Amino acid sequence: MNLRISDYFERGKKVKIIVNEDTIEAHEGECLSVVLFISNHKNLRLSPKKKENRGMFCMMGSCQECAVLLDGKKVISCNIFIKEGMIIKTGDLHES
Amino acid sequence: MSLKKEYDVIVIGAGPSGVSAAIKCSKKSLKVLIIDSNENSGGQIYRAPPKSYVKKKEKSLKENLIQIKFSEELKKNNIDTAYNHTVWQVSPGYKIDAFSEEGTIQWKTKNLIVATGTYEKIIPFEGWTTPGVIGLAACTVMLKSHQTLPGERIILAGNGPLLILVAYYVVKFGGKIEAIIDTSKKSHWLKSIFSLVLSPQNFIQGITWMLKIIFSRIPIYSNSMVTKVTNEKNGISVEIKNIENKKLKKISTEVLAVGHGLTPSTDITRLLRVDHVYNELKGGWIAKIDKYFRSSAKGLYITGDGAGISGAVAAHDKGKLTAYAILFDENIIDEKEFKQETIQILRKLNRYEIFAKGIANLNSTPKELINNIDENTILCRCEDITKKEIIHAIKKGAKNLNQIKSWTRFGMGPCQGRTCQYSVARVAADELDCKIEELGYLTGRSPIRPFPLDKAIGDFDYDEITKVEAAPL
Repeated sequence: MNLRISDYFERGKKVKIIVNEDTIEAHEGECLSVVLFISNHKNLRLSPKKKENRGMFCMMGSCQECAVLLDGKKVISCNIFIKEGMIIKTGDLHES
Repeated sequence: MSLKKEYDVIVIGAGPSGVSAAIKCSKKSLKVLIIDSNENSGGQIYRAPPKSYVKKKEKSLKENLIQIKFSEELKKNNIDTAYNHTVWQVSPGYKIDAFSEEGTIQWKTKNLIVATGTYEKIIPFEGWTTPGVIGLAACTVMLKSHQTLPGERIILAGNGPLLILVAYYVVKFGGKIEAIIDTSKKSHWLKSIFSLVLSPQNFIQGITWMLKIIFSRIPIYSNSMVTKVTNEKNGISVEIKNIENKKLKKISTEVLAVGHGLTPSTDITRLLRVDHVYNELKGGWIAKIDKYFRSSAKGLYITGDGAGISGAVAAHDKGKLTAYAILFDENIIDEKEFKQETIQILRKLNRYEIFAKGIANLNSTPKELINNIDENTILCRCEDITKKEIIHAIKKGAKNLNQIKSWTRFGMGPCQGRTCQYSVARVAADELDCKIEELGYLTGRSPIRPFPLDKAIGDFDYDEITKVEAAPL
């Protein structure tokens, strides 16, 4: 099932990003947290004490749960738009 | 576009109220800047799709057309815009500090309009931190702005107008809803439509939405709530409970979208130490305002849903009214013109208020949801603080939210208590057997959004650092 709705808008050209060891195809300019969510990468980071998986939650820059490492820097993924060749790391987010 | 350092009016938040206030001020020759963390105007309700999406000619969404009009109007009225800018500090005077990809920036203004809207209340339950559990508002943003269904199988749960709105969009976009878990009773659904459209004229549209949901034959569990979420193969398992007969049921799904109404964003007004009042029916703590949206501090105005929840249609008029208050306070219009221009808007807003009060119980959070929170359930997601730890702090003598914060670290994480303040307050009020307003609210602290220090510092060489001479011993 294609989760991307194409009735109203044309998306940007197809690009590839790397998430941990996976290569994921997405459209340029799509929202990173949305792409991760629908590409089987729902686990984005570990909680501070219990080290439990956490993922995208509020989608409006309030909760900060969707943090990932983008090219080695911690970012809120609901605020990032996809570009070719982005390297994303999820899980343990110690900045490199 | 090059931005100035000082403006007559700065509006934070480019949703319906912020945009309408900005336009009215600008029409009277005030120099206006509007700031938003998103890459376009529209706020959350009319949030624009990402810039890379190109609109197809043959089909359009109503929300998108409204957003496009916002952009055109802002441009036509020569209003400066600072999109992709996140405000991290506001200080009296008024100085606004923001950051973007390019680094940090500060603006000054005599008049500040805070039009920062709301965020979603989500009452915790066992497993609510499981990835795949998202807010109803998050689901709306994914659908309306990003044009993406969150999963192949979705469960919608909670209360308030968003439940129907999200259901409508999932069905419209061809998604599959496994179940709708509604906290309110069946009889509340009709009221819920009213709250969504906020005017009898749009009632027909509400009915159309309802019919679409009913005809799609989605199982609807009224008077029910989610009690537990666990991981399972290919998704999550959602346990639901009927509030009346206590019967439990498990449903498998990929995504659970859950929400329990909205609460006004008070980050900036708490930071500025203005007076706040508690109003459960309007969403919780709100900055104290007069009927023209003036706060207790000179030059500071709060508008839109952030000044108490009444919806997008009302937000537009609230913004206009706020602009007239500024124009009058700045002696740009005289009292006669002020009265003339505002009397109709005030009447209209009063009608909305009466209407909004009638359905406000849908936005309030039933006791059962709070009672359902297990002692080992995490309340503060940022710091992994459980209900048990909150209760422990209270037993040891913490008497208000700030004391509980000092004791436990709840609200000290990246979200600054935005996600959990309401539920912690409800749990604490029950434990202390007091009213929620007696617990106060978290003192505003800057930065109100986390941002990397390297952005604040920028690039510099060692020689550029101003060396301060050491104090004599």
